[in-house]
This record gives sequence, C-alpha cells and structure tokens, in this order.
Amino acid sequence: MAEKTVSILRAIGNPNKAKIIAHLAKHRGETAEGIGKHLGYPLPTVYKYLRELEAARAVESEAKGNTRIYFAGDFKLEISPQKLMEAFEQQTMLDLYRGRFGDEGIQKFNKVAEKVKAEKMTFRQAAATLGITYYEFVCLLDEVGGIDA
Amino acid sequence: MPKYLVVDSSILIFYDRKGKLADFLRQKKKENYKVVIPKAIAQEVVDDPKSLAEKIRETSPELADKILDSVERISATIEQGLILVETVNYKKYSKVIDNVRKHLSKLEAMPEFAVKKGDPELIALVVQLYEEAKEKVFVATLDKGLLRALKPFIDEVKYEVLD
Repeated sequence: MAEKTVSILRAIGNPNKAKIIAHLAKHRGETAEGIGKHLGYPLPTVYKYLRELEAARAVESEAKGNTRIYFAGDFKLEISPQKLMEAFEQQTMLDLYRGRFGDEGIQKFNKVAEKVKAEKMTFRQAAATLGITYYEFVCLLDEVGGIDA
Repeated sequence: MPKYLVVDSSILIFYDRKGKLADFLRQKKKENYKVVIPKAIAQEVVDDPKSLAEKIRETSPELADKILDSVERISATIEQGLILVETVNYKKYSKVIDNVRKHLSKLEAMPEFAVKKGDPELIALVVQLYEEAKEKVFVATLDKGLLRALKPFIDEVKYEVLD
C-alpha cells in the first residue's frame, strides 16, 4: 500500500521517532513520560512524536485509568527503489488533508478515527465533523491503515 | 430469485482503491445478488468526489486525476448495471429515516438536521427492500457505527451483514 508506506516513512524519517518505535517494541507498552525518561526527550517532544506516529499507525495506544499506554504498531515495510518511486510519486489524500488543516487537523482526525473504531460515530458523521467529504474520509482512513477489511 | 445486497459507499470506495471493485461486483452477481445503493450513496461516490477533484485540480492535478479515474470506474459499474440505484420512498419510510436521524444525532450530540442523509437513506432502503421482497436483505459496509444504527430495526427487518 503506497500511501501507508509514505506515511510510515515520513513518521519514522526522524531517527528520534524511529527510536521511540524500537523502544516500544522492546518494552511492549510504555507511557509518554516513560519514553521521555528512557530516551531523554522533553515530554512535549515525546507527545508531538507520538501524535505523528499514531497518525501514521506506526504506534498505537490505549487508555488505562488516567494514563495512556503506547505500543509499537503492527507494520511491515518492504523497501526497494521501485517501491519508493511508487510511494513518493503520487500525492496522497493525507498530504492534501495535512495541507488544508495542518497538524491540528491530523490530531482531530485521529480523535475522530478513534470514535469510528469504537463504533461511536459513523463514517458520515466523522466526515461531517472533520468538514470533508465521505470519499476523502474513507481514503484517509485507508491511507493510515485504519480499515479492517 | 435474486438476493438484495445493499452496499455502502465505504465498500465501493475501498474496493475501487484496491482495484477490485468490478471483480467484487461480478462475483456478487454470480452469487445471485442484486447490488443496490440509494441515491445518496451514488452522490457520495460520484458527484461529491467529482466536485472535490475540480476544487483541487489547480493545486493537486495528479490527485484530482486519480479521483476522477475512480469516479469513472464507479460510474461505469452503475452504467453496466452491476450496481442499481434505488429511490427510497421518503413518504412511506419517513418514520424510519426520522428514527435513524434521532439515533445518530444522540450519538454525537448534534442536531438532527446535521445528520448526513446517506446513513438514514441506506437503512430506509434495507427496510424498503425487505418489505417489498419479504426476503432477508444483505448489507455490506466497512462502517461499524452504521451497523450499530441498523441494529434497532432487527425486529422489523431480516437482514444479514456480509463480511
């Protein structure tokens, strides 16, 4: 899936973010504070990275009481010059969405996608909440690997 | 006797993106399903993306072309009769539509008029087709929230969700 490859590559393009995934893979569940402490990153930076990694589905999280525990996402990248060419050749819906709504929009999308996953919202309600068309919403969800099919 | 299969936009868009829409529809036809969508769904998979493509054409021409290609492929399946567009009898099923609107507006604490018409129309079509054929209606969607909105009708309508 070219779009997913791009979003994961972008998310882990920064070695500090890649280290977070490696840390989470090793520790199988960690708080943002724990990540910051182990890797020596300031907490706001950790949260920023985690948001971006979650948007790319490279990291997942779940609430446990008052804290949120982060896990490495279940992804696999197959890289070759051909794959990279295909992945970066075309602009994705995520690029378009990010261009229109910025990082704040990505955060909002993640929240809405969580609600959709929890069956608390339909795709149409999600699209209306984000101010985008249904078509865009399905494409976005597909690009970030949020469709179980 | 063909079986009715009501498909949501999510299925059409997703399968088209994977390049498998026509195969999926042909397979369903072989399995004796009549694939139907309400008009609101046709608008979501054809008219809305077409407008989006026009809007982004100047800044994102490649993506606009990609969207238009998708619209063309989906339109072709409608023209070929692989998907039938059905009109929901608004007068007869206004109560169903109102109930779905109420249910969905409560979920998101949004006014009923803000509920997009695709969800209520799709559910009303399932009810309508069941009442017309008196046979179990099949539903295919990737949207689990929509299936949740369909559940309250389980006593009135026999339906089955296709995986």
